Amino acid sequence: MSISDATVAVSEELAARDDMIVCRGVDKWFGDFQALSGITATIKEQEIVVVLGPSGSGKSTWIRCINRLEAHQSGQIIVDGIELTNDLRNIEKIRSEVGMVFQQFNLFPHLTVIDNITLAPIWVRRKSRPEAEEQALSLLERVGIPEQAQKFPGQLSGGQQQRVAIARALAMEPRVMLFDEPTSALDPEMIKEVLDVMEELARSGMTMMVVTHEMGFAREVADRIIFMEEGEIVEVGTPHHFFTEPAEERTKLFLSQVL
Amino acid sequence: MADGGDVPVIGDKPVIERVAARPAEETYRSPGEWVRKNLFPTPFNSFLTVAFGLFVLFSARGLLNFVFSEERGWDAVRTNLRLIFTHAYPEEQYVRVWVCVGVVAVLAGLSLGLFASRGDGLRLRKIANGLNAAAVAIAVGIVLREPSVLVGADGETVRDGDGVVRQSFAEAMTDRWGWWLVAAIFAVIALALRRVPERSDGSPSAVQALDFAVGALAVPVISAWVYPWGHYAFADGEFIAEPGRTVAMSTKLPWTVMWVLAVASLIVGRWVRSRVDERVLARLRVVVSCTWLLVPFVLYWVVLRDPDLDWDRILTVDMPLALAFGIGGGIVLRWLTKDGIGEFGRISAVALLGLAAFHWVAAFMGWYPMLQKVRISFLLLAVMALLAHNFSGEAAKRRRLVLAWFVITTVFHYFATVMNTPSTVETPTEALIGGFAVTLVVAVFTLMLSFPLGVVLALARTSRLPIFRVMSTAYIEVVRGVPLITILIFFVVILPLFLPANMEISLFASATLGYTLFSAAYLAENVRGGLQSIRRGQYEASDAVGLSTVQRTVFIVLPQSLRASIPPLVGQVIATFKETSLLAIIGVFDILRMANSVIPAQTQFLGIKREGLLFVSLVYWVFSYMLSKQSQRLERRLGVGER
Ligand SMILES: Nc1ncnc2c1ncn2[C@@H]1O[C@H](COP(=O)(O)OP(=O)(O)OP(=O)(O)O)[C@@H](O)[C@H]1O
Ligand SMILES: [Mg+2]
Repeated sequence: MSISDATVAVSEELAARDDMIVCRGVDKWFGDFQALSGITATIKEQEIVVVLGPSGSGKSTWIRCINRLEAHQSGQIIVDGIELTNDLRNIEKIRSEVGMVFQQFNLFPHLTVIDNITLAPIWVRRKSRPEAEEQALSLLERVGIPEQAQKFPGQLSGGQQQRVAIARALAMEPRVMLFDEPTSALDPEMIKEVLDVMEELARSGMTMMVVTHEMGFAREVADRIIFMEEGEIVEVGTPHHFFTEPAEERTKLFLSQVL
Repeated sequence: MADGGDVPVIGDKPVIERVAARPAEETYRSPGEWVRKNLFPTPFNSFLTVAFGLFVLFSARGLLNFVFSEERGWDAVRTNLRLIFTHAYPEEQYVRVWVCVGVVAVLAGLSLGLFASRGDGLRLRKIANGLNAAAVAIAVGIVLREPSVLVGADGETVRDGDGVVRQSFAEAMTDRWGWWLVAAIFAVIALALRRVPERSDGSPSAVQALDFAVGALAVPVISAWVYPWGHYAFADGEFIAEPGRTVAMSTKLPWTVMWVLAVASLIVGRWVRSRVDERVLARLRVVVSCTWLLVPFVLYWVVLRDPDLDWDRILTVDMPLALAFGIGGGIVLRWLTKDGIGEFGRISAVALLGLAAFHWVAAFMGWYPMLQKVRISFLLLAVMALLAHNFSGEAAKRRRLVLAWFVITTVFHYFATVMNTPSTVETPTEALIGGFAVTLVVAVFTLMLSFPLGVVLALARTSRLPIFRVMSTAYIEVVRGVPLITILIFFVVILPLFLPANMEISLFASATLGYTLFSAAYLAENVRGGLQSIRRGQYEASDAVGLSTVQRTVFIVLPQSLRASIPPLVGQVIATFKETSLLAIIGVFDILRMANSVIPAQTQFLGIKREGLLFVSLVYWVFSYMLSKQSQRLERRLGVGER
């Protein structure tokens, strides 16, 4: 299936927007093992893309290539017009444009919540401390935990920690947010509080790329769904297309297992 | 923490509450019950208790008989206390030593008052148990020790055909009334403590451990006023046992002043803490930490050494030099933090580093003369320049960097000048101080210098750049493969031969250098353990928010890995502290050498060695034990909440 087919599925309004993330023929090997092969996809400004696929299909690897936590070996990744190369300056620029939320939260355990959030704005964005703290407090308000500012991550529940992690990423005022299974490490009763925050973020016009197993979220919030398997993009489409009339056999098989 | 909130219920009380109540019940067990349960639970355990109990009593008897034997020359220790602690620091300047102790007391009091966390405290009941145990131990000791030897009117021991004549058991017991009295006082205090009612909220009465320690320190201070214990004399470079003056008499005033200073600053610290908010407290923490780092230098080079400052030279050479570096460097740094300087700034910083390195190469090749402090200043400036881009942008941050540079330049040039000025204090040996003071000084400087070096080595060893990795690994493995004493001898004997003609190095400095390089290798391995314990997610999260490698290391990686490696690091601190005893071998008059060779060579105490060695071991043990106790506290505190 070629990329032109994929873009057909996208509404014309979406197609008219600017490109935010462009991947062209991205290959990635771990030693002899090819984790990504010829990934080609474009994510438009303010678009919400959900990436689905079985375990080991390369979803995390792809999303981590986009802010250079992993380096791809061939092909092009262009974020907001900047190409990811070995040039450190480009990597720096892209990392400050792209926020990332991890499955394991990865908060800094020795810093308080507010310090977790303000560290990068102060030292990377060069904000003054009062300014950064004010912003952090309003972000905590936005993710619904303003009262936890002075606690340490270890004193919060999983859902609260993940919301702090989202606030921390947002504090850099990114243009794109990447989520790698943000709710997979959470107890069921905390999943919703995180998904609610993500939904609110989506409505506010953030460009988002989300790897998740939450089919409900994919169906309700996504503009497009990308289905991957064995390091390749198998199928791309709107949620409606994807859940009601998938074209590929492999997609159908996957859906029959998860739904 | 994520247990959802439904607490299992047994009866009509939630289990959690019962669990919380249990420890309190445990403490109400009577002593008899405790003994039955812990010492004689089964016949076999009873046998073990009795067998090992007898062994302990037997050893204790041996030790007591040794320590309290009439043949012991404890006067050798008592008379030489000053020698043991500071060696031959001149009598008329001795107030300087007390100033040092006072500064440490004030700073310790302030720090504890400002920052010590207030825990649940020591339960009075526990203190009472401790006092009771001490009373019992003293009573047992009184009975265990063999009766004393009888001394005749001529001061000679009384002998008959079989050897010395001893008191009867009953005589010995009554003769030791002083010890009985001490035991009785302990028991009475314990009884009184047990009578203290519980607090109104039902929790057991307790005192803060810190308050208890401060109170306990008052006991020896007060005792010096009450009873003139100890002998003491040291006059005109001669050691004499002078009956009229004792340790208590000559030190009671200074010790009282020290105690009052410590308590006063503790109170001031607490008072300040109750007035200020978290942010101010965090700033104070930085100020106090920096003061602690400066204090060893000030005390040793300024207070103890009393430099004989040459004002002509200072006004014509040192001041202008410091000003030139301060202002020149300030301008450079301000320019480097300008907006939009970008790549050009980094290149300039690297160029500065190259220039600084070149001066050092030139020094060793002897190409051109240059003051050592100029070379070091260039190096400092280069390091600051490399860090400068972290402070670019906002005006306040730029100002802070320039300000930091002024402070660094001032402090560095001040100490460089002071260290190069001869001392006015004259001592019989080359070294300024000796005894336990030199142990402390070498240990403190070694740790202060080897910590940063160890951290750098650990980072280099885990670096991605092979050249750093190889260099650091080679260094660490070489040092760890060589005995410390070899390194020390190398630095003291061989290094001076290799130095360029215009460089000189004192015994003290070269020994400290040897210790530093040695200890750094071990510290590096400990820090590396901590570095490896940091999960990959921490690196990824730091990268994802855009921190640079330096920022990631300083803000995320090091704080966590140092915290994780506190136990081995403290182990290394204690090891370094004890290893300073090797100073005795390379010719420094440290505490061990006092006991092992200096005191036994004095005419009155000829050959008396064992007492001194026992006392020195006790001093080492007390300090090491305090360090390890502190580290346990630190670990517990850092483990709570922040992880
Ligand atoms: N650092 C690595 N070294 C070697 N192989 C790796 C590495 N990281 C991932 N892989 C391999 O790459 C493949 C894709 O991994 P990836 O983590 O991207 O899968 P995923 O789609 O995110 O799976 P999951 O849903 O389980 O998270 C897997 O087969 C994995 O074993
Ligand atoms: Mg994954």
